[in-house]
Amino acid sequence: MNKQSLLALSPQLLRILALVAVTGLILLFFATQIENYLNGRLFNRISSSVAVMALIATGQTLVILTRNIDLSVGSTVGFTAFAAGSLITLMPDLNPALLVAYAALLGAGFGLVNGLLVAYASVPSIIVTLATMALYRSLLVEFSNAKSITSESLPAWLVDFPNLPVISIGDLQVRAGFLVAVTIVFLAHLALTRLRPARRIFAVGSNPEAAAMAGIDSRRVVLVAFILSGMLAGLAGFMFLARFGNITVVAGLGFELKSIAASVVGGVSINGGSGSVIGAFLGTILVDLIDSSLVRWPIVSEFWREAVLGAMILIAVAVDTLFIRRLDRMRAARAHETALAQQGAKS
Amino acid sequence: MRNIGKITALAALLLSTAAIAHADTLTLEPGKEVNMVLLPKFLGILVFDQANEGAQEAHKELSNPGKLEFLGPTPENSVAGQIEIMTTATTQKQGAVMLSNNAGDQIAPAAKAAQDGGTKVVTWDSPIPSGEGESIFVAQVDFASIGVVMADMAHSILGGAGEMAVLSATPDASNQNAWIEAMKKALAADAKYKDIKLVDVVYGDDQAEVSYSRALALVDKYPNLGLIMSPTTVGIQAAAKAMQDEGLCDKIKVSGLGLPSEMVSYTLNGCAPEFALWDFRDLGYLTYYTAYGLASGQMKGEVGETFKAGRMGEYTIEADPGRANAKRILMGPFTVYNKSNVEAAAK
Repeated sequence: MNKQSLLALSPQLLRILALVAVTGLILLFFATQIENYLNGRLFNRISSSVAVMALIATGQTLVILTRNIDLSVGSTVGFTAFAAGSLITLMPDLNPALLVAYAALLGAGFGLVNGLLVAYASVPSIIVTLATMALYRSLLVEFSNAKSITSESLPAWLVDFPNLPVISIGDLQVRAGFLVAVTIVFLAHLALTRLRPARRIFAVGSNPEAAAMAGIDSRRVVLVAFILSGMLAGLAGFMFLARFGNITVVAGLGFELKSIAASVVGGVSINGGSGSVIGAFLGTILVDLIDSSLVRWPIVSEFWREAVLGAMILIAVAVDTLFIRRLDRMRAARAHETALAQQGAKS
Repeated sequence: MRNIGKITALAALLLSTAAIAHADTLTLEPGKEVNMVLLPKFLGILVFDQANEGAQEAHKELSNPGKLEFLGPTPENSVAGQIEIMTTATTQKQGAVMLSNNAGDQIAPAAKAAQDGGTKVVTWDSPIPSGEGESIFVAQVDFASIGVVMADMAHSILGGAGEMAVLSATPDASNQNAWIEAMKKALAADAKYKDIKLVDVVYGDDQAEVSYSRALALVDKYPNLGLIMSPTTVGIQAAAKAMQDEGLCDKIKVSGLGLPSEMVSYTLNGCAPEFALWDFRDLGYLTYYTAYGLASGQMKGEVGETFKAGRMGEYTIEADPGRANAKRILMGPFTVYNKSNVEAAAK
């Protein structure tokens, strides 16, 4: 691809292509290191595992786009997973759609609390969600009454659903859980790129003053972003319940940082206003791929794995930043040349 | 069990003929006012709640007019939270803290300060590795015998030969680490285990999703793996679910330490044919008797001292064979669960 055609692509698309390229390189690298690496099973592992995190990362991206952060998503996932599990244990014949709605509404309620405090009480989101992270987790500890949900008490449809093979090609299976996640990410992407109200999230994040001048109620936009983040965390809680079946009070612990890592690796700017949910989805896949491959890589011991994962994330982000900056410079230079040429033509 | 207790008492009696006073069984006088804190690793895990039930039972039985509080950190704050609760208990002049240690030796300074301030520190489930700041450890079972039991379960499941991997809790959980070491020793000590190969030890952080993906990573890493041994109730359950979800139970079995109520379906369908555990209610009960005896000044906490722990019978303080300069009370025994007895225990 030459310089010109590279510049013709949008920065978002380039970022996504770069992520795909990096993922490919990492796959190739581990393929040389680990026996029997590239096969259908690897796809099954990664795709099943990202189904939960992809939803959380999508919600996190919406919040980060508005220049905020949501640290409470992990606790929300844990609480909704447990609450949905309790409900279905008490009422095994409950309509599946109602159970999903219950989890989503519960999560949205948690998001609403965050959003009101951030948008209307003007408390910085990092403070609000740090507090609600602890609060929601403590609510879960209280609510659970030291009991845990076990997969024995769940109906078969729920436990079987995430691993249901929808498409099978040899070893490789595209499973229902993964398809649901992909669908939701895709819908969020369509909304963000096509719907005017959703575009406001970008406007508020990239320039709040300008957004206000344009008549956008930025508080409402922030509130909605938090509600959506909570709702997606609630859906992730449902998926978590379905996939793991056994829910204790540690469910979803640390997911807030993983979702932020996935978003940032996926090219979502932590300063708001720039990024895409597709990018965050690819970021989720990349982080999961590195994490699970490192476990199988004999050279890295248990104690170094986290450090290596951290370093790889740093490298990914640094390369991305350098690449985008260079591209910006090339673009600026081209704009300058065009302007000069136009001036030359005029005189 | 009673017999073992009697034999131990007899042994202690024979060993300490010089100090005959110690060999007399002490019956604790009820009704002394002692405030005590039961401090689990964190709140919201079934086994710790069972330990609390046992402690509450003993609290009533000894008609202690003081307060028994069940205080624990939230899961994401376990280490710092335990140290904080220990320190608070010291300033409150609590009579005793009963600790299931999750903080390794990091808690030793706080425990020492507690002892200096007159608060006894009785550990249960998981001791302070160095023994510093600890009055006595109430051991659920002999740590060396856990090693033998796990080696025996591996031997029977693998039919005497095959590859096994360990899925543990956190890398700094002192009880799990001690049990894994004990199992390694047991495997090396007897020629009948010579064809069992321990290929790896990985850590699932006592979280369902991490344990689940670590279990699958083990499967991918070791094509000839026959058994995953998980000495933690969270890990064994997650590993069994992962094997069942991926249809691997015919090839790879799961064993370790688990709760019958959480493992029953996996035992019946053959994914986890055998596992072991002790009674956490009894552990809480015995720990309470020990702490009450020490804090009310009726017991000195010296090696050779024998006392009567209510319904559970007589126990003797002995030197901890696993830790130099540390003392323990050995509860024992544990039950091995399989198809024949798991259903009855799960109720």
